Amino acid sequence: MIDVEHLSKRYGATAAIEDVTFQVAPGEILGFLGPNGAGKTTTMRILAGYLPASAGTARVAGYEVHEQSMAVRQRIGYLPENPPLYPEMTVAGFLNFVAQIKGVNAGDRPQRIQSAIDRCGLTEKRQSLIRKLSKGYRQRVGIAQAIVHDPPVIILDEPTVGLDPRQIIEVRNLIKQLAGNHTVILSTHILPEVSMTCSRVAIINQGRIVATNTPDSLTHQLTQGSGYELEVEGDWDTIQRSLQSLTGVRSVVAVPTDLPEHHYKVRVAAADVSLSGRALANAIVAADLGLHELRRVQASLEEVFLQLTTTEQPLEPTEPTNSGSPANHGAAAQPASDPSASVAEVDPDANSDQPSSGAIG
Amino acid sequence: MQTILSNILAIYRKELQSYFASPLAYTVAGVFWLIAGIFFAGILFGEQGLIGQAASSDLRAQQFGFSPFPIDMPYTFLQFFLGTLGSLVLFILPVLSMGLYAEERKRGTLELLATSPITNWMVAIGKLLGVVTFFMTMLLPLLIYEAIVFNASNPPFNFTTVLVAHLGLLLLAAAILSLGMFVSSLTDSTILAAIFTFALILLLWGIDLVAKSVGGVMGKALGHLSLLKHYTNLVQGVLDVSSLVLFASYIILGVFLTAQSIEALRFQRT
Repeated sequence: MIDVEHLSKRYGATAAIEDVTFQVAPGEILGFLGPNGAGKTTTMRILAGYLPASAGTARVAGYEVHEQSMAVRQRIGYLPENPPLYPEMTVAGFLNFVAQIKGVNAGDRPQRIQSAIDRCGLTEKRQSLIRKLSKGYRQRVGIAQAIVHDPPVIILDEPTVGLDPRQIIEVRNLIKQLAGNHTVILSTHILPEVSMTCSRVAIINQGRIVATNTPDSLTHQLTQGSGYELEVEGDWDTIQRSLQSLTGVRSVVAVPTDLPEHHYKVRVAAADVSLSGRALANAIVAADLGLHELRRVQASLEEVFLQLTTTEQPLEPTEPTNSGSPANHGAAAQPASDPSASVAEVDPDANSDQPSSGAIG
Repeated sequence: MQTILSNILAIYRKELQSYFASPLAYTVAGVFWLIAGIFFAGILFGEQGLIGQAASSDLRAQQFGFSPFPIDMPYTFLQFFLGTLGSLVLFILPVLSMGLYAEERKRGTLELLATSPITNWMVAIGKLLGVVTFFMTMLLPLLIYEAIVFNASNPPFNFTTVLVAHLGLLLLAAAILSLGMFVSSLTDSTILAAIFTFALILLLWGIDLVAKSVGGVMGKALGHLSLLKHYTNLVQGVLDVSSLVLFASYIILGVFLTAQSIEALRFQRT
C-alpha cells in the first residue's frame, strides 16, 4: 500500500533522510520510531505529498506521491506534527470543512463527521470552538480530521503528543481499530506505543532506517534474550577474566556507578541461552570475588532502540573494559556488540518490566 | 466541475466565516465606517460642504440678480465621496488581505490544504471571493446613507452613473485584495504582508504620475496601469472597457500569482 524506495531528502549539504526504503502492506500498522530530528516528520511529509523528495520514489496505493499528487491526496488522511486547525471554527464545523475539501459527498458527510467525532471521543466538544480546547482535545480533533473521509491510508505524525495517559490509551485503541480497513503509518519517539499498537516497526536514526521488523522479533533478534546484572567486589581484571571465559557470554561491561572502590556493577550480556546465573555465581566464587547482587535483566525494546540509535560514546566506565566498538548502524542483522551503549541513558530498573510511558530523546 | 464548485464554495464559506469571527475584521470595519461617515458628513454638511456651497451660490445669484449657476448635486457628491472612499480603501484593504495566506502558513493549516485533493486555484478563488464578499458587507451601511441622500436630491440622480461608480469601487477593491492575497502568500508574517501590499498598491495607484516623468512609449504603457486613473474613469460614470479589462487583469493576475507561489512552495519547501 505504501512503497518507499531509496528516498532521500537533502537541505543543501545536510541530509534529512538518506536512502530510506520500506513497505507497508494493506491493513498493517507501521510504527516509525526514532529520536527527535531523525527524519520522521520529513518522511511523513514526503508521503503526504507536502515535501518533494530529493531522490528516490514514494508510492501510496500505487501512485507516486509528488507526480500524481492529486490521486494520492484523495487516498490519504494526514495528521501533521502540529495539528492543522482553524481556531475560530467549532469542532463539527471544522470537520465539515475538512470533509468538504476531501471530497466527501454531501449525503455522507453528517454520518462521516459523527463517526469521526465518536471515534475520537469528541462528542461533548462537538460545538466548542477549537480555540477554547485544551492541547489534548486539539490533538484529537487533528486525528479526527485525518480519518473523517475514511481514507485507505492514514499518516499520523506523533498522534499521542500532548495527551494525558488515559487519552493515550484511547488513541492507541483507536489506531488499533483502524488496522485492517486502513493502512496506518505513525511516527513516534515513545517505545511502548510501538510495541502496543504496531504490527511492524521501522527504526530510523539520523535519516537512515536501521531496522525493520515486528516489535517482538526485533527485540529478540537484537538482544538474543537476556543478560545479567551483578554487583561484584574485587579486582576488575579478575572479574572480567573469570566472567568472559564462561560459555554463552557475549560481553562483560562495567556500568559507571557511585559504588565504593573495588565494587563494580557489571552487565553481562548473553550470547545464547546456555548462560545461566548459576555459572556466573560459581565463576565469581571460584575466583574468590565477593558477590553482592545478581539479577536477570530482560532486554526491552527500549534498549534495542538505544543500541540502534546511540552513536556517541556513552560515559566511560571508571575502568577499562573489553567493550567492543560502539553500536553501529548496520547492526540490524547481527547482534549489537555493545550493550553499554544504552547504559548511560537507561535506568536498569526500567528493563525489568515494561514502563508505562518511556519517552526517549 | 461540480467538485470544483463545491471546493471553491467550501473555501469561500470558511473564509467568510473566519472574517465574521475575527475581532480584527470588525475593528477594520468599524474604523472604515467611522472615517467614511466623517467624509460623508464633511462633504455634505461641512463648512466647505456641498450643501453650503450650493446655498451660498444661490444666495449670491439672488443678490446680483442673475440666474443661479447649475450644480449637479448628486453627481458632484458621488465624485467627492467615492473619490475619498477610493483613497480610504487603500489603507483598509491590505489589512483585510494580509492574513489570507500568511495566517494559514503561520498556523500550519496550509499543510492541510496542500495535502487535500483541492487545487491551489480553487483555494485562491474561494479566498478572494470570501474577502470581497466581506468588503461588500462593509459597504452596505454606506449604501444606506447614500440612498437617503440620493432620494432627497434635486436634480434627481442618474441610477446608471451611481451603479457604474460603485462597480468601480468594487473592482478596485477586488484588484487590491487579489494582489494583496498574492503578497500574503509569499510570507508567514501578516504585518509584512500588509506593509508590502500597501507599498505595492500605492505604487500602482499613482503610477501615472511616475509614468509622466518617464515619458515615451514606456511611460504611456505604465500610465495605463494606474489604478487611480481607471478608478476615476468609472467613478465619473464612464464605463470604459479598458478600465474593466485593467481591473479584471489585476484580479486574474493576483489569483494566478497566488496559485503559482503556493505551487512553487510544493517544490521548494524547506
